[in-house]
Amino acid sequence: MTFKERVVPTIRVGDCLLVPIQIDLDDKTVEQLQAQLLAEIQEQRVRAIILDVRMVEVIDSYISYTLSETAAMARLMGCRAVICGIRPPVALTLAQMGIELQGFLVARDLEHALNLVYSP
Amino acid sequence: MARKVRELLDIPADEFDVVVRIVREEDIAVARQMAKQLAQGLGFSLADVTKVATAVSELARNIYRYAQTGKIMIRKRLEENGGPTIQVVAVDHGPGIEDVDLVLTKGYTTYERSLGIGLSGIRRLVDSFEIVSEVGTGTAVVVEKRRRKF
Repeated sequence: MTFKERVVPTIRVGDCLLVPIQIDLDDKTVEQLQAQLLAEIQEQRVRAIILDVRMVEVIDSYISYTLSETAAMARLMGCRAVICGIRPPVALTLAQMGIELQGFLVARDLEHALNLVYSP
Repeated sequence: MARKVRELLDIPADEFDVVVRIVREEDIAVARQMAKQLAQGLGFSLADVTKVATAVSELARNIYRYAQTGKIMIRKRLEENGGPTIQVVAVDHGPGIEDVDLVLTKGYTTYERSLGIGLSGIRRLVDSFEIVSEVGTGTAVVVEKRRRKF
């Protein structure tokens, strides 16, 4: 996958793919991100993808839906999906709306995420 | 109900601080951004800024999905007792909703890529929520969020 096709630059760490999301997610970019991650899982044969959403200020129902769907797809490809760094106001909003980000292992931060990936 | 729908559909846009016409998918993000700025400007807490922005995002997406076009109109109101309030009015001349109670049920959706959580979720994020709709005329949703001290 060429650099241009990526909506979010990713970093390979060991056999994980770190995905630090530093852009405002809208419907189109989250869909592009899904396609990108599936392609990268296949190309790089990683054990896990770790989405870091520390910089994401709004996660609404469609973004959640698409991210959860991506996590389910990753699992079907034999790859764990971890999400970390959900900001307090985003956690509050998601919880109040009743959104659970199914399909993801949820971690506090990157270190916790890596621990989850390598735990049995 | 029908009269109320038309009344809300006919509110003049110039009575609002911000009006975003929802025509393209990108407009959802624009509406969300504008709502965020307005709430920040009024000194809303970070949690409430996020709630307002998320609610507007859901409202704008509903317009785009079900009615294709419509408007998100936002205004600040200064209440006599209590802090300022943000009011969001989302209107469209779309197909309308036959059973409003049904669409407010968590998990109900007619759209395949959806959690069915939008409207029921919005209601939990704001202080007041009203939806009126008439089949063939359109739909209007009015939500309000008060500023509160944390």
